[in-house]
Amino acid sequence: MVLSLRSPLTNAYTRLLNYRTVFGEGQYWSGVIRMAYFGAVQVSVMIGLAILVALFLDGPYCRGRRFFALIYFMPFAVPGVIAAIMWGFLLTPDLDSALKVPHYLGLANGPITPLDYRLSLYAIMLIVTWEFTGHNMTLLLTSLTNVPHQVLEAGKVDGCSEFAIATRIKLPLIRRTVIFTIILSIIGSLQLFTEPVILNDIATIGNSFTPNQIIYNTAFSFGNEQLAAAQSVVLAAITILATVVFYGLVQRKMDPFAAGRGVIK
Amino acid sequence: MSAVTFVRTRSKAPAYLGSGSRVARRMKTTVGTAALIVAAVYVIAPIYWLIVASSKDIGQLFSTATFLPPAHLSWISNLKSLFTYESGDFRWWLLNSVIYATCTAALATSVSTLAGYGRAKYHFGARRTVFGLVVGSLMVPATALVVPLFLLEHDVHLTNTYEGVILPLMVYPFGVYFMSIFAADAVPDTLIDSCRIDGASELHAFWKVGRPILMPGRVTLFLLSFIGTWNNYFLPLVLLGSETRFPLSVGLSAWSSDLMLAGAGQPLYPEVILGSLISVLPMLILFPFLQKYVARGLTLGAIAGE
Repeated sequence: MVLSLRSPLTNAYTRLLNYRTVFGEGQYWSGVIRMAYFGAVQVSVMIGLAILVALFLDGPYCRGRRFFALIYFMPFAVPGVIAAIMWGFLLTPDLDSALKVPHYLGLANGPITPLDYRLSLYAIMLIVTWEFTGHNMTLLLTSLTNVPHQVLEAGKVDGCSEFAIATRIKLPLIRRTVIFTIILSIIGSLQLFTEPVILNDIATIGNSFTPNQIIYNTAFSFGNEQLAAAQSVVLAAITILATVVFYGLVQRKMDPFAAGRGVIK
Repeated sequence: MSAVTFVRTRSKAPAYLGSGSRVARRMKTTVGTAALIVAAVYVIAPIYWLIVASSKDIGQLFSTATFLPPAHLSWISNLKSLFTYESGDFRWWLLNSVIYATCTAALATSVSTLAGYGRAKYHFGARRTVFGLVVGSLMVPATALVVPLFLLEHDVHLTNTYEGVILPLMVYPFGVYFMSIFAADAVPDTLIDSCRIDGASELHAFWKVGRPILMPGRVTLFLLSFIGTWNNYFLPLVLLGSETRFPLSVGLSAWSSDLMLAGAGQPLYPEVILGSLISVLPMLILFPFLQKYVARGLTLGAIAGE
């Protein structure tokens, strides 16, 4: 923190000069905006999928619940570096003949290249979704098994369809867990580092893709630790702000009478 | 809600749930299971590919069908070159990963247990403040801490050492939070009181009574911290400079960054692929047995507030 106030050249205190530099840096902010977009798309897809799978696994139409729960949770044990290497190779047409199939069938002009600069953001979304959907699903599933049987039976007696039980009873009851997983995912996506770094090694997608990459480069490639410290502080502030704003929004929306209830308690 | 007893597994969905005729039910089950299988293929495909690809030499990697095993397997020669390339750095990485993960997990578990138990069982003045600080530090992104950490360690010459990696990871805010909730629930105050009446010292009460009760929580924490350290990339990348100190994650990423360099000799594709397989295999094999403990740790944080 203190370091971020010092000058890169003389290490003397310069008040907020480094912060002024951070706020004027186009690259840094385009990284932040890219991650905001990334977070909005990827987190909704991932949490949506996780909710869907968890509700289905908890429902009556599911066979082999334990088996599937275990399989989906497995990527949690795979390091981000390894996940990125695996997917990086799998998304390279030279190594993965499946990407050439549309070309052979005459559907495309050449092999599909998901690691193009244009598509790489979506390739990273694919990888991150692979890594963390099962983790979130596990959290939701545990939460679902805690929904008391009596409540579900009551819904059944009242003539709810299975779909209504899932969406009207189970989902509201686990909403805290849903919020928790979303917040964790927002924090995670703003901090994205490993995947783009590895993919950049495999396919050159750029070394200033995310704010974290930029911070790393500022500190260790350019040796400007003071500016990097300022960038870190700003990123931490953005993360906390995003979390607080999101939390505030859902609290208000989901619990319009929260304030009143607090008084009654 | 009780924090410890929440892992109630409902192995089968009760029969009274589910609506519609028998045929409709069977249809729904079939369609749903098919969707689950598709999702499972998405999850397993890369891991399956890693196993298949690790048996190919560099020519086969670029010429044979991606998801089919090659005509002749090259595991042995790949293994040889993996362990001997650049005077066997890979052996160091494997050993280092084990050292980092084991030491960190053991220390983090002890520290978290002591801190969590203390927070849960002693009513000192700053109790709430401490808890607030712990929860607050869970919110701070790890990146924001790494650059300052590097500079601090640089000043005291801890960069590029084993302690330099282990010490910062030993302080594990989630562990303290977890243990604090776990201990508050699992260890009854009356039990400790009866120890005191019997003349046991506070430490003795903790060691003989508190610690054994907290054992399941400690196993969970050890595993979470072990996996977290084994998978960590950013922290060791920043703190370590010499290749013989690298853990697997940093080492393999260093090799993969050489893949694109022109004129770096034979590209290391088979070595990177086999090295990746080796670094995930132990965990994947143990995972079915450990899943219960790991999931418990993760979910306690998520639903303790409900």
